[in-house]
Amino acid sequence: MNTPAESLPSSPKPVPADPAASLAARLRSHYADRITGELFIPTQSGQYRPLPAGLDPRLTAALHRRGITRLYTHQAAAWASVQAGQQTVIVTPTASGKTLCYNLPVLQAALQKQAKALYLFPTKALAQDQVAELTALNQAGALGVRAFTFDGDTPGDARKAVRNRGDIVVSNPDMLHQGILPHHTKWAQFFESLGYVVIDEMHSYRGVFGSHVANVLRRLQRICRFYGSDPLFILCSATIANPAELAAELIGKEVTAITESGAPQGAKHLLLWNPPVVNPDLGIRASARSQTTHITKQAVKSGLKSIVFAQSRLMVEVLTKYLKDAFDRDPRHPARVAAYRGGYLPSERRAMEKRLREGRLDCVVSTSALELGVDIGSLDLCVLNGYPGTIAGTWQRLGRAGRRQRTAVGVLVASSLPLDQYIIRNPDFFLGASPEQARIDPDQLLILLEHIRCAAFELPFLQGEAFGKEALGEILAYLQEQGILHHEGAQWHWMADSYPANNVSLRSVAEGNFLVIDTTAGARTVIAEVDYSSAPMTLYAGAIYMIQSLPYQVERLDWEGRKAFVTRTRADYYTDAIDYTRLKILEDFAQDKQPKHAVAQGEVHLVRRIAGYKKIRYYSHENVGYGKINLPDQEMHTTAVWWQINPEALEAVFPTRQQSLDGFLGAGYALHIIAAMRLLSEPRDIGRAVGDGHAKWFATVGASGRGQLRNPEDEAMDPAQLAHFTPTLFLYDNYPGGIGLSAPLYEKRAAILADAQRLVSACDCAHGCPSCIGPILASDEVRGYSPKRVALRVLSLLADHES
Amino acid sequence: MSLKTRLASLQAQTGGGCDSPVPASADLRQRLARIRTQRLSSQSTVTCAPISEAELARRLNGRQIAEGVIHLHRRVPLTGSLSKVPLACLREPARLPGEDQSDGLRQVYIDTETTGLSGGSGTLAFLVGMAVVEDEAVVLSQLLLTRFSGEAALLSAFSMALSPLDRLVSYNGKSYDLPLLMTRFRMQALSPPFAALSHLDLLHPTRRLFARRWPDCRLLTLEERLLGFRRVNDLPGAEAPAAWFDYLRHGRGDKLIQVVKHNRQDILSLVAAHSAVAQAIKQPEAFDVDLVGLARWLAETDEPRARELLLSDADRLCNAGKRLLGHLARRAGDWPLAVGLWEGLAASGCTHSIERLAKYHEHVSKDLAMAKHYCEQLPRNAVQGQRLKRLNEKLCNQAIQQQTIKAQHT
Repeated sequence: MNTPAESLPSSPKPVPADPAASLAARLRSHYADRITGELFIPTQSGQYRPLPAGLDPRLTAALHRRGITRLYTHQAAAWASVQAGQQTVIVTPTASGKTLCYNLPVLQAALQKQAKALYLFPTKALAQDQVAELTALNQAGALGVRAFTFDGDTPGDARKAVRNRGDIVVSNPDMLHQGILPHHTKWAQFFESLGYVVIDEMHSYRGVFGSHVANVLRRLQRICRFYGSDPLFILCSATIANPAELAAELIGKEVTAITESGAPQGAKHLLLWNPPVVNPDLGIRASARSQTTHITKQAVKSGLKSIVFAQSRLMVEVLTKYLKDAFDRDPRHPARVAAYRGGYLPSERRAMEKRLREGRLDCVVSTSALELGVDIGSLDLCVLNGYPGTIAGTWQRLGRAGRRQRTAVGVLVASSLPLDQYIIRNPDFFLGASPEQARIDPDQLLILLEHIRCAAFELPFLQGEAFGKEALGEILAYLQEQGILHHEGAQWHWMADSYPANNVSLRSVAEGNFLVIDTTAGARTVIAEVDYSSAPMTLYAGAIYMIQSLPYQVERLDWEGRKAFVTRTRADYYTDAIDYTRLKILEDFAQDKQPKHAVAQGEVHLVRRIAGYKKIRYYSHENVGYGKINLPDQEMHTTAVWWQINPEALEAVFPTRQQSLDGFLGAGYALHIIAAMRLLSEPRDIGRAVGDGHAKWFATVGASGRGQLRNPEDEAMDPAQLAHFTPTLFLYDNYPGGIGLSAPLYEKRAAILADAQRLVSACDCAHGCPSCIGPILASDEVRGYSPKRVALRVLSLLADHES
Repeated sequence: MSLKTRLASLQAQTGGGCDSPVPASADLRQRLARIRTQRLSSQSTVTCAPISEAELARRLNGRQIAEGVIHLHRRVPLTGSLSKVPLACLREPARLPGEDQSDGLRQVYIDTETTGLSGGSGTLAFLVGMAVVEDEAVVLSQLLLTRFSGEAALLSAFSMALSPLDRLVSYNGKSYDLPLLMTRFRMQALSPPFAALSHLDLLHPTRRLFARRWPDCRLLTLEERLLGFRRVNDLPGAEAPAAWFDYLRHGRGDKLIQVVKHNRQDILSLVAAHSAVAQAIKQPEAFDVDLVGLARWLAETDEPRARELLLSDADRLCNAGKRLLGHLARRAGDWPLAVGLWEGLAASGCTHSIERLAKYHEHVSKDLAMAKHYCEQLPRNAVQGQRLKRLNEKLCNQAIQQQTIKAQHT
C-alpha cells in the first residue's frame, strides 16, 4: 500500500499474452448469452506532484531511500489539507498509496513537534501490517520515531513502554474502548501531546459497529479536551457515496474529502453473469454456485490467481469443497485452494494471508472478511458468488483483483435471489449507479446510553456538557435513578463498583461469542469462535458445521456456557436452519391513515424461533430430511414500518382470507427487495414478517407453497376461523433497538410501494418467481388463482390514496 | 414514549448484554413494571434519618478539615499489644533482608478503601489511612471523603502528610493502592507526592515466606497465622464500596463507620505485620517460615546465611530447597555437597540436576564417561545433541591420547 510512486512505470496496454484478458475474451465469446452487462476500465496512468516543500529533510531523505521522489496527486492534496489544519478524509482505491497520505504528516509532526499519533484499524491484523510498514520507512531514514501496536496481544510488561515511549500507537476501536480510555490517566503523557488520530478503513465503520465507534471517538475527544489537546483526524476509506458525511458523523466535525486518485491502475474487465435458465416454466436458473465453480476452475487451470467471495460462511465451505475436489485431490501436494472466513482462529488466518501473499495458493474462497485491506498481494480474478448486497461492497471485493501491469477480471455471478436478479437484469443500475451511502446512528439510544456510562466512568460529566444529540441531562438523570451515577453540585460522578466498558461490545448489541469445541476421540480442542447472533442459526444440535470444508456435527450446544461440542463426521449433507418470526406492535411514532389502508412506524417486540433445520445433500441439493431445534427464542426490541388494510376493503377485493394472506406474503417479499435497495443497506439489515401485530399469529409459506397461519406454539391455524383478520406486513430494522432504518423507510413509503408494484408487474414470470414475489411451486398452477396477481392486488390497495 | 421509558425498555431487552435469554412469554411492559416496583421497594427501606457530614465527623470522633473531608487522628500507645505481638517491639524499626539499616527513613504505613476493585479512572479512594510509629505510640491518621468534591482537598492533605524522607509500607500497594492514587492525582491535576519515595510492599515478603505454608496471603490470613487473632464483627472489604455509596446516596453512615474501623484495623495489622515478618526472619522455625523461600530471598544479599539456613534443615529439604542448596554450594566451591545433592535429585529424575552433573563431570572432575552417562539421560534437543557430540569427540581424543601414552610406554 505504501507504494513508491516513482518506481511505477506507466502501465502498458494489455498485450495478447495477458492471461486474464484472454480469459475474459474466452468467457465473452463462449457465454455471450449469460453475460448481461460488462464494463471495461482502461489502464490509467499516474498523476504526480513533487514532494512538498515544507517536508522535513530527514523525511525527504527516508523517502528517497525508499525510492519515492514524488507523490501522487491525492497524496499531495492530503498533505496540503492536513497542513491547513483541516480534518481530512481520503477516498482512494486499493493499492493507491493511501498510507503515505497519513504517514507523512504524522511523521513530520513527530519529528518536528514531538507530536504523538493514534492509528485505529478495524482489526488487529491490519494494525500489524501497518507497524511493519512504518518501521521500514523509519529505518530507511533512521528517523527514531517509535511505532508500537497496542492490542489484546500486547504483553503486560510491554504495555508500559508503549504508553510512555510510543510516538505512534497502532490499535483498534475495541482496545481504545476497553483498554485505553478507561485507563486514560496512565496515558496522560500520550494524550497531552496527541496531534493526530488516523482512522483507516473508515468504510467498515457503518451500521451498529460504526455507531459504536462514533461514540468511542466522542469519548476519545472528551478525554483529549481534559488533557488540553485537540488532535486532527485523518481518515481513509474505500469508495462510498458519502465519505465526508460519514467521516463528519464519526468524529462530530466538518471534514474535507479528497476523492481523486492519482495512482496508476491496470485495466479491469467486469462481467455481469446470469446463470442459464434450466426450467423456463418456473423461471428456474442454474445455481450461481455451479457457475462460480466453473469460471474459477477455468481461471485456476490457466494459472490465474483467483479469489471467490461468497455471501455466507456456509457457501464458502461448500464452494471450497467443490474446488478442492477439483484441485486438491492428492493429499501429498500442498493445498492450492483454501477457505478464509470469520470464525477461524487468528493464527490460522495469518498463515493463510501469508500463503496468499507469497503466491503459494491459487485460489481462496472468502466471506467479506477479506474485503478489508488485509495485505494478500495482487490477484488476477475475482468472482462474486451472488451480489454482495451493496454497490460499495461489490467494488471493494472486485478491488481485490487488480494488477498494475496487466488486466484483472471481475465476474459478478447472480444468484436466484431477487436482488441479484434485479441487478443482473438491469445492468445499468449497477454499472451506472454511484455507490451507497454508509449510514450510522451514533444516537441510537441503547448504544448512546452504553457509551454515556463508559464516559461517566472515565470523567465526571459536567452540567451543561453535551454528548450526542439526545438530551444528556435526561439520560444522566435516568442513570442516577438506576443507581449508577451520583449528581453532586454541577457534576455527575460514576458511582458503581464495576467497569462498564467490559460489558459493551462494539461489534454487536448482544454479548458473548460461542466456542466450537472438537471432542472427536475424547479431545477437547477449540476450533472456532462464532458470534452470538449467528450461533442459533449455525450451532444447533444436529447442525453440520464446516471448517475448511471438513464437516463437523454439533453434538450438544451449551447455550448458557456459550459452547458447542462437535465431532468430525462423514455426512454427505449440510444443514440449513428454518426460522419463524413473530412481532408485536408496542407503540406508533408516526401514522398515515388512508381510507383503505394504514401505514405506521414505531417500536415492535420481535420473537424469532429457530424451529428446525433441513438436511441438504451435496451436489444434488435435494432435501434429505428435517430435524427439530430446541433453542430459546431470540427476542429483540426494534423499530419497524407496518402496513395494514382495513378489513372491509380486504373482503371486497379477496374472495377468501387465504388469497389475501398469499397476497400479503408476496407483497412483503417484493417490498423487502425494494426497501433494501432504496435504503442502500445490506438486505439482512432489514427483516420482514406478516402477522397480526399482536403476536397471536404469524404467517409463513408452508411446504405446500401457500401461506399458513401459525400460533405462538407453532401450530397451524385456519384463517377462516379467526374472529378478526387484519394481516399486517412488517419491514423491521434487524438490530436490537434499531439502527435508524425504519424512519427513512417510512418517509420513502410511497416510492417503495410504487417500485414494488413496478417490479412485480414487469416481471416476465407467469405466476410468481424468486425475482418478484418469491418462489412458487409447480402445483401453484392449479391453485386456482395467481399468487402474483393477489400480491399485486395487495400492493395496489396499499398504494391507494383516493377514496 | 418518553426518553426515560424508552431507555428502560431497551435496557430490559438487551442492556448489560444479559447473559441468559429473557423468558419468551414475559410481556415487555409487565417486566418494566416489575423492575420499577423493585426499585421503589428497595428505596422504601430507608428508615433512619440521613446523617450530615458534621454528625458523621462527630460520631467518628474526627474533624472536618475541608468541604467533604473528615480527618481522624488516633494515638495507640506502645504499651499494649496486638494479640501475639507486643507493641513495644515496634520501638525497634523493622528491617528486612537487603535493607540499609541506616537510611534513616520514616516508615509510613498506608492503606486505602476504594469504590471498586476493577481499577480504571472511575474508581476512587474514599478513605486513605496512614500510620507512623513515633513518641511511644502508633500515630494513626485517616482521611475520609464524604462527597466527590472533597477529593482534591483529601489528596492535598495526603500530600502534606508525606515528606521526602518517608518510605511507604503497604500490603499489595504496589499493584493496587499506589497506581489508583496516581490515577486520582492525575484526575485532579495534582502532582503525586510519592513518585520519588521508596516503597515496601509487604505482600511480596509475605509471599516469599508463607505462600507455600498458607492457603493464601491475604491480610486476614496473615493476621490469623502470624499475629494470632481473628477479627470479629468486621465489615468485609468487598462491602466497602456499597457502604460509601450508601452514605452518599441516602446519608446512611453505620456501614461507613464500620469501614473506617476496618481500615484502622488494616493499618494496625500492617504495622504489626512488618515487625512480625522481621521477627519471623530471625526465628524462622518459630513462625513456620518456608525456609526455602527465605533462603532464596537471603541469597540475593547474603549467600552464606542462606546456605547455613538450608544446611540447618538439610534432611527435610524439598527438591526445590535441595536445588537451591546445590546452587549455593556450587557457588561457594563446595563440590562434594553440591554433587551429593544433585545425585540425589538426579535419581528422582530432576533434569536440571542431571545437566549440572553432566557439566560437573565434563568440566570439573573431567570424568568424561560419567559426563556422557548423565548427558544421555537429558531430553533430546539441539543443546543436548551438541554436548553429546562434544563429549564423544573428547572421549575419542582421550582414548587416542591414552593409547599414544601406552604406546610410548611400551
